[in-house]
Formats: sequence, structure tokens, C-alpha cells
Amino acid sequence: MNIASAGNAAQATEAVVSPGNERIVEAMNRRYEAGFVTDIATDSLPPGLDEGVVRWISKRKGEPEWMTDWRLATYRHWLTMHSPEWAKLRIGPIDFQAISYFAAPKQGPKSLDEVDPKLLETYDKLGVPLHERAKLAGVAVDAVFDSVSVGTTFRKELAEAGVIFCSMSEAIREHPDLVRRYIGSVVPQGDNFFAALNSAVFSDGSFVFIPKGVRCPMELSTYFRINAGHTGQFERTLIIAEEGASVSYLEGCTAPMRDENQLHAAVVELVALDDASIKYSTVQNWYPGDENGVGGIYNFVTKRGDCRGARSRIIWTQVETGSAITWKYPSCVLRGDDSTGEFHSVALTHHCQQADTGTKMIHIGRNTKSKIIAKGISAGRGQNTYRGLVKVEKGAVGARNYTQCDSLLIGKRCGAHTFPYIEVKHPSAIVEHEATTSKISDEQMFYCRSRGISEEDAVSLIVDGFCKQVFRELPMEFAVEAKKLLEVSLEGAVG
Amino acid sequence: MSSAMLHSLLDEVESAKGPDWLKQVRVEARTRLLERGLPAARNEAWKYTPLRALESRGLRRVAADSQSVGVDPALYTLAGVDSPRLVFVDGALRRDLSDLPGVHGLAIESLGAALEGNAESLSASLGRSFDADAQVFARLNSALPGDGVVIRVAPGVKVEPLLHLVMLGNAGAADGYWQLRNVIELGEGSALRLIEHYAGGQGCTHLGNVVNQYSLKAGARLDLLQLQAAPDSMRLIRRSDAVLDADAHLEMRCVEAGAQWMRHDLAVALQGDRARLVSRGVFVLNGRQHADTRIDVSHRARDTACDLVWRGVADQRARGVFHGAITVCPGADGTDALLSNKNLLLSDQAEIDTQPVLEIHADEVKAAHGATVGQLDEKALFYLRSRGIDEAEARSLLTLAFCRIAFDSITNETLRSQLDAMLLERLPRAVLGGNAPQVAG
Repeated sequence: MNIASAGNAAQATEAVVSPGNERIVEAMNRRYEAGFVTDIATDSLPPGLDEGVVRWISKRKGEPEWMTDWRLATYRHWLTMHSPEWAKLRIGPIDFQAISYFAAPKQGPKSLDEVDPKLLETYDKLGVPLHERAKLAGVAVDAVFDSVSVGTTFRKELAEAGVIFCSMSEAIREHPDLVRRYIGSVVPQGDNFFAALNSAVFSDGSFVFIPKGVRCPMELSTYFRINAGHTGQFERTLIIAEEGASVSYLEGCTAPMRDENQLHAAVVELVALDDASIKYSTVQNWYPGDENGVGGIYNFVTKRGDCRGARSRIIWTQVETGSAITWKYPSCVLRGDDSTGEFHSVALTHHCQQADTGTKMIHIGRNTKSKIIAKGISAGRGQNTYRGLVKVEKGAVGARNYTQCDSLLIGKRCGAHTFPYIEVKHPSAIVEHEATTSKISDEQMFYCRSRGISEEDAVSLIVDGFCKQVFRELPMEFAVEAKKLLEVSLEGAVG
Repeated sequence: MSSAMLHSLLDEVESAKGPDWLKQVRVEARTRLLERGLPAARNEAWKYTPLRALESRGLRRVAADSQSVGVDPALYTLAGVDSPRLVFVDGALRRDLSDLPGVHGLAIESLGAALEGNAESLSASLGRSFDADAQVFARLNSALPGDGVVIRVAPGVKVEPLLHLVMLGNAGAADGYWQLRNVIELGEGSALRLIEHYAGGQGCTHLGNVVNQYSLKAGARLDLLQLQAAPDSMRLIRRSDAVLDADAHLEMRCVEAGAQWMRHDLAVALQGDRARLVSRGVFVLNGRQHADTRIDVSHRARDTACDLVWRGVADQRARGVFHGAITVCPGADGTDALLSNKNLLLSDQAEIDTQPVLEIHADEVKAAHGATVGQLDEKALFYLRSRGIDEAEARSLLTLAFCRIAFDSITNETLRSQLDAMLLERLPRAVLGGNAPQVAG
């Protein structure tokens, strides 16, 4: 927390450009770097949604009957639901009939060699370490291009360890028992409006299964990329860590520049059994819309982890810099005794971006612990909201929670909001929540400037320090990327 | 959405006296209430205080003839607090119980009398429409004619005596309803000390609905103690709305030590530069009590400050709800806002729900909040025990010390020790005997 005193710095943080400052003008006008569309013929469904579309998707993916029924039941339930309005977001009406619910690359690749070179080129531009680069980076990538998985590397190495890492469609075909047992067990079909929509029309996603006692030999990663216009992405991810297993999963996203708002409603389910641990890290850099708020991705995601077993542990780490609207609350249900949930988040909003994000920690088991570190940065006209729930149920003897939410304001027209909900039903619980809001202090800026550091560099230095607690939790490659992302995203925020 | 409770009260409203604009306000409020009913359980403003049980009950306004009933003086007196005293019983002024010596610069009249005089001067206060869901009971208050008090302090006058305003529900008819509307206006540079004392006769099951509107002109200062000591059978809803002009200062203390079911909405608008709110509060609940405090502070001018410190204790099957929202509007630079809410949960059947909220739309701001739910410090407990104090007593002492932050700055010692006693009585295993050590100050 720092004290903001009036004075010169008010001007320093205003997005005003002085005449001679070409570098900043250039930076402000810089286009979104990952904004390009790869021209591949896609086999898309026409826009619209009805039972036929749900059946078509299910059939197209060669799913068993129970899966089709599951989708249909959800779809019927979804029709009775309403889009949530409680978030502090301004969302224009979404026409669900104007969205195409399926887009898949036409050539069905059987191995990486058969993959359309143009597609690989796309990954290349994004720096996805497929092929040799994947090996070098030591990362197994299940790349999702629009809605169908194209290639999975390191399959063999993982198979030797007994780890299943494949696309969701493949998992439904090849491991139906596992999928049937766990899908929807963490996020029920009718959990919320967007989760229900996802359950009805999800196209693909990742499936990870770590068997008993196995420590996943490498970090698993999926690169999502929305490509075809008008196509909502409905990813479904399911990660199961059996007794004593552990895995670290990385998710990162970029999307090409586009003018219409694209809807993305993903569902991620994590299940950790006794002594298992799952670490889920996200760097989200979807197209945020331009500086006037035109275009950009609507990112409405339901992420939930279930610490089902005793001493299990789930850690969410997220860096959210993209999307026009982010609506996302990665949560932990701490069911098992002595289980632990953690949430580390950096959310940045610039220009007209809006983010309403946070977490839910539901303490059910005995001696469960949770920790929440949320850092929000608002610049331009960005609106950043932390919304979190810490709930201690009646049987949660000795539950412990610590929450820290800090907001950093850059500029006069942005907003930072904090809405924590704390509900405690057991007297032995200790729940603590702290939140502060401040701007970059004049003293900090002056110190950096007097050391010859430029204004932009000073801001990124201070922002980096502000976020350090969260970056520390990220895997190394991601930490580097996240830092860079923040710098790029904040360009033009000060002048 | 039709509600038996609203119908039972609103259907009989006719032929009330008053100026035309006031009748218009009543009609509008009444129409809106009957259209929309009471907020449903999913409503954010009533998330932790569902209205379903209340909704289905038929309520009757307490009849005017209850006015002659005798009232136990113990209900409306406080040690260390003498006249001037103003006593309302079941929503009507009891001149026989009140004691109002003339004080220079202080004008006190009942709402009814004030409306017969210069009614226009009240149009801003009484004409306010309460549209938000959180304000539904204030809307009900506007829809029904009722009494209250209008207190005006002339500019520059610093009123010396402590004013004691008592609002009682007397034992009597079950499911009775009464309401009060109080308008308190402090002129420029004036000062007033006021105790609002909510109480009731044993076994009183009334629903009291009180709306207080405070207006502090530039440089005015109001020291306010709201002492809520209603019997555990009573239900009480109150709304305190304050608007502060430049350099005005509201120092407010709330002690919630009663009522079976209570809701308090405190809304403060810091409208003028350097306006300042200091608020201290505590609730101590047991049995099946339910207390919901909802604070909404809005910083609308430069260099405004608020400092909110609230404590809560819930025992047995009680439920304590706290919502503390601080909004910093665009342009309210130099705001300094602080909220601390700490709670003790003493039983596994009790529940505490707390929600500190910050909404910031300006950047030259210092804003922070903290909330905790937990137990007494084991080390402090050990320290007291090592000094030969038995555990139950040590717990009582520490819990009292925890609550005392709400009123330990009160200089009136007699009043302070009375508040101590009132809280101690509500704390578990209160065994402080004659030879017990004095509570550290």
C-alpha cells in the first residue's frame, strides 16, 4: 500500500503524449503482434444452435451414445438457464444463434508429418515448441487448433510412465470408462450458464490421466489458438491425478486479430485423489480488442479443482492479460482432509478491457488450507474486479485461509474493485483477508528516473515487482513469457 | 411477488394528512412496493438475510391506544445520560416520558408537528425515493404515514448536553409494526452529541422500521452512538443515511446487543472536500439471533476520509453478517479509506459472513480493507491464565476487550461501564465476580 500524493506524478501517469516522445507514440500504436489469420479451409457448421447441432458435433466426433445423451440433456437444461448478470461487467447481448459451434481443419492429420505445413507455421510464429523445438524445450504439446487436436508429441515417453495425455475426443473413444467416471463430476452439467453451454457443444480439449504413484516426467502444455472467424471455442479439459500422482500443466493462448467479439466458454476440471498434486498454470493473451474496445474475445471460463483425496493439493496460477472480457474463477473444493488449495493471479486490463476474476475456496475436509494471492493492474479505461469466495463448512475443523488482493491503478479513468465473500461456519477456522489499492507512487518513479531509467522501463520494473509473488509460482518458461506479456500489454499506459 | 406482509400494511393506507407532494411520495412508494414485492433470496443485498419468513406474515400497525400503557423507566434510561430525552413508544412520541428543556440553538419537534409548520423544508429528506433493493424497507417507511423527530442545530451552535433519543417497542400485540422517520440537520459549523437508543419490553415481538437521515453542513460535527439493546424477541430494521458537506465530521459508534433479527443499512455520502467519517461498531450475538450490518460509504469529493473498524462475535446458533463497501467516485482524489472487520466465532452452530468491498474509480487514492474470522489469541489466553485467572474468565475478558474498540473512546465513564456490563451479560460464561480484576482500558 502506498500513499498517493497529488502533484507532478498525476501528469506522469496520465496517458498523455508529449510531442517529442515518438517511441511512446509508436508503442501506443503498435498492433497486436499475434494478430494474423492462417488461411486454411475449415469444415465449419453454419451458425446456429439446436439439438441437431449438438447431435452433429457428437456424431462428427464419433462419440458413443451415452456421450450424445449427456450432451443433449445438458443442452435442454441450458435452454432453461439465463446468462449471469452479477459480475461487474458490461457485456453486450450475445446472440448464441449467430455463432458457429464447430470448426475443424479439413485434412485429418494422422501424425505430425501430415500436419498442414501452414498450421505448423502458425505455431512457429507463436513460438510453440513442436517437433525438435518441443524436445529441446522439454515440453509435450497437445496443440489445439480451433477445435480438433492436430498432433500430440512425447506420447511415447509419457506412455512409458503410464500417463495418458491426449485430446478429449480421443479419450472419449479410447478411455470411455475413465471419462465417464470423471467428466462433470467437478463441474456438473448445469453448474452455470456458460458451463452448461460448454457441456452441450464442447468440441475438444485435453485429457490427462496420471496413474497411482506416478510423477509426470515432464510439464504438459496445450496451446490454444482461436483461428476461424465467428467460431466460439468450447474447450473441455479434464485432468485426473490418482493417489500419490503429480502433474504440472501449462495452458497458454493467443488469438489472431479480429473485429467481432468471439465467445470462448471453456470448462476445466481437475481431480486430485489422496496425496496427489496438480499445478495448473495459464498465460492468457487473447485478442483484447482495440484501444476503443472494438472486438476482442469474451472469455467466460469455468475452472474448478476437486481435492477429493486426503492431503491432495491443487495450485492455480494465472496471468490474464488478454480478452476484452474475462469472467473466470478457478476454484478449489477442499473435500479431502488436510488438502490444500492455492490461487495465484495477475490480471491486467488496459484500454477498454474488463476483467471479473477471482477464486472460490470451499473448505469441507478437516485441516484444509487455502491461500489466495491476487494482483490486479488497471490502466487506460480498464476495469479490474477481484471476486472471491472463501467458505468454511460446518465440518471443516481447523480450516485456514489467507487472502491478499492488491490493485495497482495506472491512469485516471480505470477502475479497481474488490468483492470478497467470506462465509464461516466453524469456530476453529481462521480466515484472513487483506486488500489494498494504490497507484505507482511518485517516490518510486522519481527514484527510478533519477537513476536514468526511462519512464516506461520504470513502470514495467515496478509492475514486475508488484507481480513477483505470482510469477514465482509459474514454471520458468511461463514466467519469462508472462513478464514480457505484461510489458507489451502495458505499452502506451504511461506517457 | 405478492407479499402478505406488504399487503397487510399497505392495504389500509388512506386518508393520511400531509402536503400534496408527500401524498404523492407515499403513493409512488406504495405502488412500487406492491408491484415488486420484497426482494427474493437470490438478491445480492439480501443474500444472507432472506426475507421469506417475514414475507408471509401479516403485520398490523400498533394501535394508537397502546400509547397510554405504562413503560418501565429502566427501558428508556441510561446511567450517566440525563435530559434532554425524547422517548418514542411503538412509533409515537410520548411527551409524558420525554424531558426536553429548551437548549439554545437546538430545535426539536415531532415530524407531525414539523409537517404542520414549514413542511417544504422537509421535502428533500422525505421526498427521497428509495429505489435500490437494499432500500426496500425505507421505501415501506416512505409509503406509510408515521411519526419521528426533526432535530435542527442552528449554524455555529455547539450543543453542550448529550441528547438521548429513545425508540421503544413496548410489549403488546404480537406481529405489531411501527416505524419512525428521523431527520437530523446540523447547520454550518455546528456540533451535536446524540445517543439513539433502541430498546423494547420483554417479549415484544414487534417489527420496528426506522429511517434516520442526517445532513451535516460544512464544518459540522455529529457524535453519534447507536445503542441497539432491543429484547431478543424483537425485529428491527433501520437505515441511517448521512450526507456530509465540506469539512464535516461524523463520528459514529454502533453497539448491536439485541433483537432477534436485525438489519442496519448505513449509507454515508462524503459529498464535500475533506469530509470525514469515523465509524466503530460491534455486534455480540447468541441464541438464534441474526444481525446484518450493511455499510456503504461513498467518497464523492477530494481528500475525504473514512475509517471503519467493526467487530463481531457470534455464539450458539447466531448468524452475523457484515458488508462494508467503500466506493471512490471518479475525481475523488486524495481519498483515504480504511476498513477493518474482525470476527470471533464461538460455536460450531454459529456463522459469520463478511464481505468487505472496494470500488475504486480514481487513482490518487489510499484504500485498504481487511477482514478476519477466527478465535481468541491463545498466547493472550495463556498469559492471563499464568496470572491466575481461570479460563472462562480469561475468555470473557479477552472477548470484551475485542468488542470494546467500538466504544472505548467514549469519555462518559458511567455510560462506558454500562455498555461493558451490557456486552458482558451477552458473552458466554460471564463470571466476572466482585473480586475479579478490572478490565484493562
